[in-house]
Amino acid sequence: MSRPARRFPKEFLDRYSQFIPDFSEFLEAMQTPLRRTFRINSLKTSRDRALELLSDLRPKPIPWTDLGFSVEDGDRLGLRIEHFIGLIYVQEAASMVPPLFLSPLPRERVLDLAAAPGSKTTQMSAMMQNSGLVIANDQSPGRVRALISNVDRAGCLNVVVCRRDGGILASALRGSCDRVLVDAPCSSEGTIRKSTEALDRWSVAAIRRFSGVQRRLALAGYDALRPGGTMVYSTCTLAPEENEQVVAELLRSRPEARVLPASLPGLKTRSGLAGFNGQEFPDSLALAARILPQDNDTEPFFAAVVQRAAL
Amino acid sequence: MKHVQSIQARFGIPDEVFKGLEPIQAQDTVFVGTREVMKFNAVNPMRRGIRLCRIFSYSTKPTTWAMQVLGSRATKNVIALSEEQARRIINGGELRLEADVEDGFVLLRWNEFTIGVGLYRRPVLKSQIPRFRAVEESSAEG
Repeated sequence: MSRPARRFPKEFLDRYSQFIPDFSEFLEAMQTPLRRTFRINSLKTSRDRALELLSDLRPKPIPWTDLGFSVEDGDRLGLRIEHFIGLIYVQEAASMVPPLFLSPLPRERVLDLAAAPGSKTTQMSAMMQNSGLVIANDQSPGRVRALISNVDRAGCLNVVVCRRDGGILASALRGSCDRVLVDAPCSSEGTIRKSTEALDRWSVAAIRRFSGVQRRLALAGYDALRPGGTMVYSTCTLAPEENEQVVAELLRSRPEARVLPASLPGLKTRSGLAGFNGQEFPDSLALAARILPQDNDTEPFFAAVVQRAAL
Repeated sequence: MKHVQSIQARFGIPDEVFKGLEPIQAQDTVFVGTREVMKFNAVNPMRRGIRLCRIFSYSTKPTTWAMQVLGSRATKNVIALSEEQARRIINGGELRLEADVEDGFVLLRWNEFTIGVGLYRRPVLKSQIPRFRAVEESSAEG
């Protein structure tokens, strides 16, 4: 069901109609409220048992993850006992993708550089079977409280929570992490489907402001990788300045870095852009994934998988 | 660590549950996490693992969040609750019931899941679950 037609700023329409395919479908999808989705927390229960307990909601599988589901009537999902005891985590379907691209393994050391409120931290903790170490960082005091609360509820015993400037923390961890997730703070165009307030705040100036922070975090996150380690850079926004351009800057600064394919069975993605506003991006950015709302009924997302060269 | 042992002893939690985990005490609180979590020293983190218990002069109080993940194999001082009872306790209420447990801190179980910690003084069971997380009262309760 669509909300009443929303007036998108002319600048928004002008810039995104340049490169978003099936643009009218895109706009229609952006005005459609998001379905409620959740992830089963394998640290606390099995997939089958959770589905048995939630059978009244008739959960429908999300194709790209065994543990993700959508429900029609999910407004009260967060008020269920199953949620309180951490059997499920309410999480947007596209937000489940970056950890799946990163694929952390048990006993590894993983850095989540902008972690709050913790959906991806707790997902990675579960993928690692509560072993090894997830360093979950966020600079904002309020958001760190939410992060700790969610780590507690999900039962994550392999997480340390830090509240540091991401660049400074990553410097302290230089060369030591098997995997790094930089799910960067962004202009959050992707959240328009949740709340049109994001559209009220939208401006090209905000995009440029975020882009500077993102370039610094991406570089710091990359430097925290051990040789041969893997990083995922992701945002929930569409702006090339916050996505391809950030990764392109990283590739220019760290020429040994290489972009790996980002794909999952069951997830429709579009290639990273070849250029924007007269700027050309490296060919390898075509391997990055743009997730458009009309393709999988999700928020828009961008993700690039970057590997540090082995010694 | 004696506080971990006292929790294991009170609730009959087998040693294997704590295998690969380490406790660390900070003032009156004990945290528990993986060895890698406890060894992490690149920076001073805000939090390591999960808060296991608070230490009082008269007893050790286990936390709801730690017992949710570590208490599922407890064999003693556990009270099984119906769904209606569980909802009432999670929402901060109390119950009057007879249970085959000692007075003091108890683990509360709904189905096979530990939902948190309660304080039992026969016949009153009081919730010790943090109250900021309400759950919906069952529609079956009317």
